[in-house]
Amino acid sequence: MKHYIFRNNTIEAFFPECNYTFSGYDDISFIPQDTDGYIWFYQVPIKFDSQTLAEEIQGFGDKLQLVASQIPGNKTLIVLTLEKIWSIKYTTGDFAVRDAISKFNYIAEELASFHQNIKIIDFGQFCRQYAASELIDWKIYFISQMELNLRLASKFKKWWNEQLKSIALKRKKCLVLDLDNTLWGGILGEDGIEGIKIGGDYPGKAFLYFQGGLKQLARNGVILTVCSKNNEADVLQAWEKNPYIVLKKENFAAWRINWQDKASNIAELAQELNIGLDSMVFIDDNPTERELVRQMLPMVEVPDFPDQPYMLPDYLKKLVEHYFTVYSLTREDLAKTEQYKANAARAAEKSHFTNMEDYLKSLEIKISIIAVNEFNISRIAQMTQKTNQFNLTTHRLEESEIRDMTAKGWKIWCISVADRFGDNGITGAVFVSNSGHIDNLLLSCRILGKGIETAFMQKVLEMLKPEFKTITARYIPSAKNSLVSEFYERIGMKISGTEDGVKSYVMSTEDINPQIKKYYSITVK
Amino acid sequence: MEEKIIGILKETLETPSINADSNQQNTEKWDSLNQLNIVVALEDAFDVTLEPEEIAEMKSVTDIVRILSAKK
Repeated sequence: MKHYIFRNNTIEAFFPECNYTFSGYDDISFIPQDTDGYIWFYQVPIKFDSQTLAEEIQGFGDKLQLVASQIPGNKTLIVLTLEKIWSIKYTTGDFAVRDAISKFNYIAEELASFHQNIKIIDFGQFCRQYAASELIDWKIYFISQMELNLRLASKFKKWWNEQLKSIALKRKKCLVLDLDNTLWGGILGEDGIEGIKIGGDYPGKAFLYFQGGLKQLARNGVILTVCSKNNEADVLQAWEKNPYIVLKKENFAAWRINWQDKASNIAELAQELNIGLDSMVFIDDNPTERELVRQMLPMVEVPDFPDQPYMLPDYLKKLVEHYFTVYSLTREDLAKTEQYKANAARAAEKSHFTNMEDYLKSLEIKISIIAVNEFNISRIAQMTQKTNQFNLTTHRLEESEIRDMTAKGWKIWCISVADRFGDNGITGAVFVSNSGHIDNLLLSCRILGKGIETAFMQKVLEMLKPEFKTITARYIPSAKNSLVSEFYERIGMKISGTEDGVKSYVMSTEDINPQIKKYYSITVK
Repeated sequence: MEEKIIGILKETLETPSINADSNQQNTEKWDSLNQLNIVVALEDAFDVTLEPEEIAEMKSVTDIVRILSAKK
């Protein structure tokens, strides 16, 4: 199974290398078709201004909807819920970010309920196992923008595989329950209707809780049945007479209360209810009975039973979550519908969009093109050393080499990008020789997916136009830069030759006719 | 120590050919992401904390040996 992950942070280390490919950072412009499924794993960015952050998160919801509307219906989209893993409380009454996160998760939940191919995984379930200080390693974050602690990578992988399994797991339909020491304490045939332990003090209280939980399961559509070695008349009487019993006759779709072996009884139940054995789960406190059913009916799921009644709540939780909910987003979220509606009305609906153009317009992208100077030269050199993917020739440069180039009259510009949600700083550079040859062009992947690369180069070509008759360039393939193998074609350059994968390009400056979209505000400094 | 470091690099980078002369340039899988995996593995194995400045300098087996030796 190959998965494509939409993401806004560095998360590669958390997924096994071979089966996953990753979008650019916060880049939804490209939706590959040659993948088996899609994953949405956004994390709440680390930012201080809660209003801006809330708006950005609201944008995530819009983007998710945009992606959901574009993926093929026969492929799965797994959405991880948004989870705030870091925040500083400056004031107590500021719920903007919390509300935006809840709203995003609500949007995801809604999508999942309308589209069978969209599934939700509750990322909070993973996060809640750890203290806030364990979730982020700030040293690694500042080096790499990896928000989730790298040290949790192996635990995350394990958890993730469990989640994938539970998504693939067929939801079970029917629960087959034993009675004595399973639904109540004691043995009905010996202790009598009043003697069995249900309700009242412990352990009756624990069994009461268990029965209540199972009743809730029935309300959610799971079929409950009974398979017990007892006298049927005794049980019918207990159901009728014992006021503490929660699960009574009317809660069970069918029962086999007799002295026959349980495997035969379960097979009969399956037949009577017209369901497959593979959709049944059998619960019994007696290990011998469990083993018999496992041996005789391997299709039936037979989980172990807890040793002590006080362990029943944990057991119930696992039972429900493992067999009867395919994926589990917190139910509170559903109940919060009204609250969301109120919040949505209150929040100014600023950033809604339904297509890429509107989205880009809403970003208010500001591009600055800055000639090399003493303040940015080391950053430019550093980028030539570090950038791998959007790097046309991978020409690594030292600061001194850049100085030499400038002295020879080369044009070296860097690009700085900001939008409504923040300033990315200097994130790319272009090197043009004194003869009009583009020696290299590189950009940080962080800013891709917004058409910035094209707008930037169109502007650069426009600036070169008065000085040169022709512009040349080269693409040199490396292990990592296939992303840009056709970039120069896209900005209108023509291939003049190919040798060992190295493509040479040429363009007459007369052909330069930049049509830069108006929503990019470009300044040259 | 060098042997232990090489062992950690082999495992982290899934590259059995790592040796005392290995560096970022001659080792394909030694990229910026794996650099951090290396850091975590080294920190755990040697029970040290590597500072960001040191992490930036760790470009070869020789660098790692030098930096870790200085910490002991």
